[in-house]
Amino acid sequence: MAYQKIDSYAQTLDEEVRTSVKNASALKTKSRVDSLWRDFQDPDKLREVSGLIKQHVIENLDTYLPKVEEALTERGVKVHWASDAEEARKIILGLMQSIGAKKMVKSKSMVSEEIELGHYLEKHGMEAVETDLGEYIVQIDHDHPSHIVTPIIHKNRRQIAESFEREGLGEYNDDPAVITARARKFLRNKYLEAEVGLTGANFISAESGRLVIVTNEGNSRFCLAPTKMHIALVGIEKIVPRDTDLALFLNLLARSATGQKLTIYTEFINGPKSPEQPDGPEQMHVVLLDNGRSDVLASECRDILRCIRCGACLNVCPVYRQASGHAYRSVYPGPVGAVLSPILDAKKFPELADLPKASSLCGACHEVCPVNIPIPDLLLRLRDKAKKEHIHSPNTPPMGGWSILASEPILWKSALIAGAVMNVINPDLIPLPPVKRWTMVRKLPDWHGGEFRKWFKNRKVDGKK
Amino acid sequence: MLLEHLHHRPKPANKKIQLMTTCLCDAFFDDVAKATVQVLEYLGCEISLPDEQTCCGQPAFNGGDWPSSRRVVRHTAKVFHSDDTVVTPSGSCAAMLFHGALLEFEKEKDLPEIEKLANKTWELTDYIYNGLGIKTWPGKLNAKVAFHRSCHTRGTESGPASLALLDSIEGLEIMPFGEGEQCCGFGGTFSVTFPFISSQMGHAKLAHAQASNPDYLVSGDMGCLMHLGGIVERDGMKLKTRHAAQILRDSLIEGGLI
Amino acid sequence: MSTEQFASSREKILSKVNTALAPIKDRAAMPEYDPRITVTKTFDPQADQWAFFKEEFDKVHGRTFSTGAEIEAFFASNNLTYGYCDPKILALMSEILPDNVLLETQFDLAKIDSYQFGITCASGAIAETGSIILTDKDTSRRLGALAPWVHIACVEHSSIHATIHDALKAMPDDPNIIWCTGPSKTADIEGILIEGVHGPGIQGCFLLP
Repeated sequence: MAYQKIDSYAQTLDEEVRTSVKNASALKTKSRVDSLWRDFQDPDKLREVSGLIKQHVIENLDTYLPKVEEALTERGVKVHWASDAEEARKIILGLMQSIGAKKMVKSKSMVSEEIELGHYLEKHGMEAVETDLGEYIVQIDHDHPSHIVTPIIHKNRRQIAESFEREGLGEYNDDPAVITARARKFLRNKYLEAEVGLTGANFISAESGRLVIVTNEGNSRFCLAPTKMHIALVGIEKIVPRDTDLALFLNLLARSATGQKLTIYTEFINGPKSPEQPDGPEQMHVVLLDNGRSDVLASECRDILRCIRCGACLNVCPVYRQASGHAYRSVYPGPVGAVLSPILDAKKFPELADLPKASSLCGACHEVCPVNIPIPDLLLRLRDKAKKEHIHSPNTPPMGGWSILASEPILWKSALIAGAVMNVINPDLIPLPPVKRWTMVRKLPDWHGGEFRKWFKNRKVDGKK
Repeated sequence: MLLEHLHHRPKPANKKIQLMTTCLCDAFFDDVAKATVQVLEYLGCEISLPDEQTCCGQPAFNGGDWPSSRRVVRHTAKVFHSDDTVVTPSGSCAAMLFHGALLEFEKEKDLPEIEKLANKTWELTDYIYNGLGIKTWPGKLNAKVAFHRSCHTRGTESGPASLALLDSIEGLEIMPFGEGEQCCGFGGTFSVTFPFISSQMGHAKLAHAQASNPDYLVSGDMGCLMHLGGIVERDGMKLKTRHAAQILRDSLIEGGLI
Repeated sequence: MSTEQFASSREKILSKVNTALAPIKDRAAMPEYDPRITVTKTFDPQADQWAFFKEEFDKVHGRTFSTGAEIEAFFASNNLTYGYCDPKILALMSEILPDNVLLETQFDLAKIDSYQFGITCASGAIAETGSIILTDKDTSRRLGALAPWVHIACVEHSSIHATIHDALKAMPDDPNIIWCTGPSKTADIEGILIEGVHGPGIQGCFLLP
C-alpha cells in the first residue's frame, strides 16, 4: 500500500526521537500559554493587532522597502538587493573578498539555510562557522535543523558527545554543561579569528532602519564584537512600521517560542560601530533577499509572509509531533513550512505538494500564531491548487463520483439503503482502499442508512412525539 | 477569536428550524439525529427535515477537489433555501457552511446564495445556548463526562456552549483531561490519507481521556467519535462514546421531562 | 512571465512586488491600537522602578547589587580579583571593591580569557522585563561587557524605564543597542538549561549611588 510521504516517515521514525520531539513540543506549548495569560489581559488581542500590522506591511512592501533602504543608507549601512539565492551568495562572497576575508562566523539564520550559504562559501575557500550551539552541532554532523527555533530537538546528548569527540573537542563526555563549555571555548577562538560576522534579522524597523536580532546565547553579539564587517541577510518581508510597534512583536515572539518574556539578548542595530567604540564592525551591509517571496506575495497565500518565525505552530502541531521536522524535507517544516515551502520555490511545488495535505486542519496553529495567520485556510488553498495542477496524491479518495452521489438525492437515498450490505460483509473484505485504511485502525460502525429518515417520517405521520 | 463570519450572523427570528442531519448520522448514527430532534422539540422548535439533503460538501473541500465540493454545496443551498434556521448536530458541518464554503465560493458568481446559507446555519449546542439563550439544561444524569471539543469548533462559540450545558446538568460531572487542544486525528479524509499519524493521534487522545476515568467520552461531532469510538472498539478499550445531543436527551428522560 | 531586463536586482524586486500587489483592491490598513495593550499585568506605576526591576531581574537569574557593600561582598565571596573596568567609573569601583581586586582599564584581546569580570556602564534598564540596556556610546568596550564570565552593568536610577514601550520610545541615537535580560543561556541539548554560553554566565546590575 502506498503511503503519503509524511505518514511513511512518521512510521519509521525512531521512537526515542518521537518522544523527545513530543516532550519538548508539549513543554513549549504549555510555557507559551502560561506566560501569555499570566502577563496579558487579552493575549488574543495582541495577536490580532500584530497580524493586522504585518498584513499591512506586506501589502505595502512597495513603499516600505524603499523606506528601509533610505533609513539604513542614511546611517552608513550599504544596502544590497538579491533576487534569488545565487545572487545573495555571490554578493556575500564578494563582500568577503573585498576585504580579503577568509573567515566568517554565523549567527543563526534560517535564510542562510535557505540559500545554502555555508556550502557555497566553503567551496570558494572560505570558512563559515555556525555559532549557535544547535546549529553548530547540525553543521559538524552535516545534518539539517528539524525545528526553526530549537534545531536539534531530534538529537540526544550521547549523539552530541560523540560528534564533539569526532571533531576533536575532547574525549567523550555527554554532560550538557561540559559540552556547552567546550563549545564556548572552541567558538570563542573562531569569533576572534573571523573577519566577518553574518546575522539574520527578526525584524527591521522602517522608521529607524533598526535590525532587531534576538538570541539567548550571545552568539550574535560575539559575531559583531571582534569582526570587521557585519553582513545581515534578511527576507524582504521582515519589516515592521515603527520602533514602538516592536513592543507588540517582542512581547509575543519569545513567549510564543519558549515562554520567555524576552530572549536574553535583544539587539537593535542600524549602523556600523560608533566611531568612539573600539570593538565592532566598521562596515555594515544588509542584503535584502527576495528568493521567491515576491511570488508568494502574488499568490493567494500571501498571508504566510506575516510569519515571525517563532515556531509556536510547530510546537502545537499534532502532525509535527508524530513526524518531526525532517519529514517535511524543507528548510521550513511544520505548519508554516507546509504553506511556505511548496510555494517559495515554484519549481518545487509538485515535489512538496503533499505537505499541505499532512494536516487534519485542526486549526491549533492558527490559534497560537502571534500574527494570526489562518494557516488551515492557506493549506486548503494549496490543496485546491494541487488538484488543479493534476498533482497525484496517494491515498486521497476520488471525490468526483462522491459529489454526483451527494448532489442527486435519489442516488443518495438508494446508497443509504444499499449500504446495509456493509453490516453483512466482513469490512476487511471490502476492496475499497479508503475502507481498508479505515479498518486498519478502527472498527467500522454499523450501517444504519435511512433509519433516521424513516423514524422522522413515521413519527410525523402518527402525530406521535 | 471568533470567525469573521460569526460576527455578522443574525440571531434566529423564531423557533422554526430545518434540520441538517449530516451524512454520518444519515448513514450510521440515527440515534444522534433522533436525540437532536427530541431535544429541539422539547425546547419548542418546529422542525422540518428537507428530504433531498445529502452532505455539507466538506470531504471534497478538504480533499482539494473544490469543483466537486461546490457542486454539493450548491445542492445543499437549494435544499435548505427556506429562511428557517438550519441546525446541525455537527461543529464541522456548520463550520463548513459558514466558513469553508465562503472560502471555496470566493470567486463564484453565486457567492451571495452561499452567504445566505452561512447566515442561517447553527451548530446544535451553539443554537441552544446562544441562539435560544438557554443557559442551563434541565433534567438529570449521573455521569462522569470527559468532553472533547472538536477542532472545527475553534473560532466559534460551540465549545463553551456544549461545556456549559453539559456542566449545568444535575448529577453530571465534567472530568478535565490533558492536552485538550490536541486534535483527535479524524480530520475527515485525513483519517484515511494519513492512517498511521491519525491512529497515533487517536490513541494519544484516548489515553488522556481515559486517565480522567470518565463514564462517557462526549463530543459534538460524530466524525471525532466515529474515529475515537472505532479505535475503542477495535482495541477492546472500556470507554463509551456519546454525542452531546444524546446526553442532553438522556438527561431529559432521566429527569422525567420527556 | 515577463522577460524584461532590469538594470538592477533592486528594480527587479520592486517591479515584482508592484506586480504582486497591483490586483489588491484595498490594501490592508495600518490598525490603530492603544499601546497600553503591550504593558504586562505586573506593571505598577507606583512602584519604585529599581525594586520592580530587581524583582524581574531575579526571575531571569540576574544578580542585582543595590549598595556598594553588596557588590563588595559578592566579589569577595566569589574570589574575583582581576578584570576589566570602564575608565569612567574606575575611581568609584576602586573605592567600593575589595582591596585585592585589580582593575584594568585597557582591554587586551590577548588576555581575553584571563579577565574574570567586566564592569561597564549601562545606558538604562527596563523594569517590566528585567533588562539592562547597553549602547555603543556608554559601553567603553563591547567585549568588556560580553567576554568575561561575570559582567556587571552599572545603571543610574533615573535611566530605568518602566516598560518595553517606554524604552522603545526613548531609544537613543546609537547604532548598537542591546537589551540584556539575564545571563546568556541555551537549552539546545535535550531542553536542559545551561547558563553561560558565549556571553556572561553571571549577569550583574549595580545601582550607581
